[in-house]
Amino acid sequence: MKSLTIALNDLRRSFRSTFALLFMFGIPLLVTGMFFVMFGNIKNTDAPVIATTKVALANLDAGNAQTGQLGQTLVDALQSEGLSKLMEVTLVKDSASAREMVVNQQAGVAIIIPANFSDSFSDTQAKVEVEFIQDPTLILGPQVVRSVLNQMLDAYAGIKITVAESLKMAENGNLSYDEISRIVTEYMAATEFSSDSTPLIDLRSPAALPKKNPMVSLVGPIMAGMMIFYAFFTGANTANSILREDEEGTLQRMFTTPTAHTEIMRGKFYSVGLTVIVQVTVLMIAARIIFGIQWGMLASAALTALAIACVAGTFGIMLVSFLKSTKQSGIIFGGALTVTGMLGMVNIFTGNPQSAPLGIVPLFTPQGWATRAILASMDGAAVGTILPSLLIMVAMSIVFFVIGVWRLQSRFA
Amino acid sequence: MESAIFVQNLHKTFRNGSSLKAVDGVSFEVAPGEIFSLLGPNGAGKTTTISMLSALLKPDNGATGANDIRIMGRSLITEPLAAKAMIGVVPQDIALYQDLSALENLIFWAKMYGLKGTLLKTRVAEVLDLIGLTDRANDRISKYSGGMKRRVNIGVALLHQPKVIYMDEPTVGIDPQSRRSILDGVIALKNQGMTVLYTTHYMEEAQELSDRIAIMDHGKIIANDSHENLIRLVGQKTRISLSINTEPETMIEPWKACKGVSTIAIEESKINLLVDDSNKVLPRLFETAAAKDVRITSVEIQEPNLETVFLHLTGRALRDA
Ligand SMILES: Nc1ncnc2c1ncn2[C@@H]1O[C@H](COP(=O)(O)OP(=O)(O)OP(=O)(O)O)[C@@H](O)[C@H]1O
Ligand SMILES: [Mg+2]
Repeated sequence: MKSLTIALNDLRRSFRSTFALLFMFGIPLLVTGMFFVMFGNIKNTDAPVIATTKVALANLDAGNAQTGQLGQTLVDALQSEGLSKLMEVTLVKDSASAREMVVNQQAGVAIIIPANFSDSFSDTQAKVEVEFIQDPTLILGPQVVRSVLNQMLDAYAGIKITVAESLKMAENGNLSYDEISRIVTEYMAATEFSSDSTPLIDLRSPAALPKKNPMVSLVGPIMAGMMIFYAFFTGANTANSILREDEEGTLQRMFTTPTAHTEIMRGKFYSVGLTVIVQVTVLMIAARIIFGIQWGMLASAALTALAIACVAGTFGIMLVSFLKSTKQSGIIFGGALTVTGMLGMVNIFTGNPQSAPLGIVPLFTPQGWATRAILASMDGAAVGTILPSLLIMVAMSIVFFVIGVWRLQSRFA
Repeated sequence: MESAIFVQNLHKTFRNGSSLKAVDGVSFEVAPGEIFSLLGPNGAGKTTTISMLSALLKPDNGATGANDIRIMGRSLITEPLAAKAMIGVVPQDIALYQDLSALENLIFWAKMYGLKGTLLKTRVAEVLDLIGLTDRANDRISKYSGGMKRRVNIGVALLHQPKVIYMDEPTVGIDPQSRRSILDGVIALKNQGMTVLYTTHYMEEAQELSDRIAIMDHGKIIANDSHENLIRLVGQKTRISLSINTEPETMIEPWKACKGVSTIAIEESKINLLVDDSNKVLPRLFETAAAKDVRITSVEIQEPNLETVFLHLTGRALRDA
């Protein structure tokens, strides 16, 4: 149990070091907070940073006897109060006039809801296409409108399934059409399309029905990236205490006590794992409380956190095993952690977690897999879905650990 | 009776670039309850020896391969944990967590020595009392004075009530008052029956504390005996240290030839001589110098002490200064 004594002693010392605390908690939370405030301004100030986009909207939807006027609900949603700062919707009669407004630069975007929009919900085979036309000279505004529209249509896909299911039951005589339209209306109310202020930017998974702050989905990946970057930093910095203690003589002093060398080294390894797991846990809880960031299902988030702690800790141990003295640690940590961190998290920092500007390059770094797992977990993925990423992180951890231990044992034990 | 410390034929060569024989065939025994000092100049190999006796360094296989270290009968090589449980090590450089308080340090190290529960609490309190830091127990080590740090550094090694304690130059760089209290502490430990292995390059400390003194130089023990017996090695000789107004080498040959001069050596522009009777030899030295037109600018006469012994054995001064 002396190994645990050593690990707890290190943890206590980390919590007493301003430097360690700053890098463990301060910077990740501060940077995320900065983005939070920045995005908060976009949403809250009267003079928005993103200019309001003019939208020409043509609703050609003919309606459907069973499902009602679903095209109109989309119109209502786009005209809702909450989106009024982002877009200014002008209703037009037909698709031609909608296009014309874009051509004449009277609108930045034209949206055309097709005639079969409502119909398609009672026909499981039908394909609906909502047309989206944008002024090519504009970049940001139309993109915002498009992403809002995409989110909405994603949710309609959910409705479509609901409706289709309901219809089947109705044919069997279990549900009346009235009930079906009630279900549709309730779903709309639950997702708050037609009603009040919250703009629905993040409703990718219909399972996540509770209201989400839109900023969370912007700030969440940033927080995740910060957490992973500084988890690796903390892993390396804590592992570096092996060298610091060697230079300060306390490691030698431990060796003079009746304690096996392997037990002492084990204690130092525990301390790395323990410190990172405490850091990640505190960061996740703090981010949840301060920014309202959802990390996903408990099991997925917890296992991902554990895997991050493993891979960050062992990566640190391996890095340290290549150092001669702590004098080198600044350069090596700075270089190795920045390069692997940036490569691994490039998808977050380029602003779009879905696209992959560097292809599979991030997956050659442990941070890449950590990012992948945590983003999936935040997206609501079950343990089964992220398990491959977690297993790869564990495999990487084993490799890092074996290399690190092999080099450190031959030096200190 | 079995030795508290038994050391046989230790060798250690450091191989980084050039190979340096830091310890070259060291053997000695210390009886239980003895204070035994290793006295030697910087780089003599004292810390390297202590490191091997603490299992921090592995001895090289000596010429015969028959090296051995036993603490209270336990072999440090075959039963390291049992042997280490007998030893308290006070390292030459302070080895404490500067960002923790004295109390936290003592508790941590007590756990590393395997203490638990009430025994741990009482021992930590006793040691704090012994080193006189009960009032300051909750201050961080980094806020302590050099002398206070040294006391905690020693205190840690006493937590588990070891049978044997190693102290590697525990008084380096501290004020006379702290030094006095440490020396008194060492004597108190001896009076409680503890065996002490002490290293120093201050001959006064070795002289005051030790039952026996081993003089180390260039990795070898060149003499090992009680203070009185060591002094007897130089016989009735007195050490004279002279400065002259020209190159010291000028007078080496003429003075060597003088009757009653047994050793002559130059140490930092001073000429050190061992002579039979300073009253008789000094006038001859002045005469010889005058004949060569050399002026003697300072004279220092010293009755035999460990310094003289070292000079006698090595032809060099113990202290560089
Ligand atoms: N780790 C090491 N690597 C290389 N050489 C070393 C090492 N440790 C000690 N030495 C060398 O071995 C010799 C003996 O050193 P040691 O520290 O044992 O001397 P010491 O008697 O304790 O001296 P001091 O009074 O200065 O503490 C010195 O020449 C020193 O430079
Ligand atoms: Mg030394």
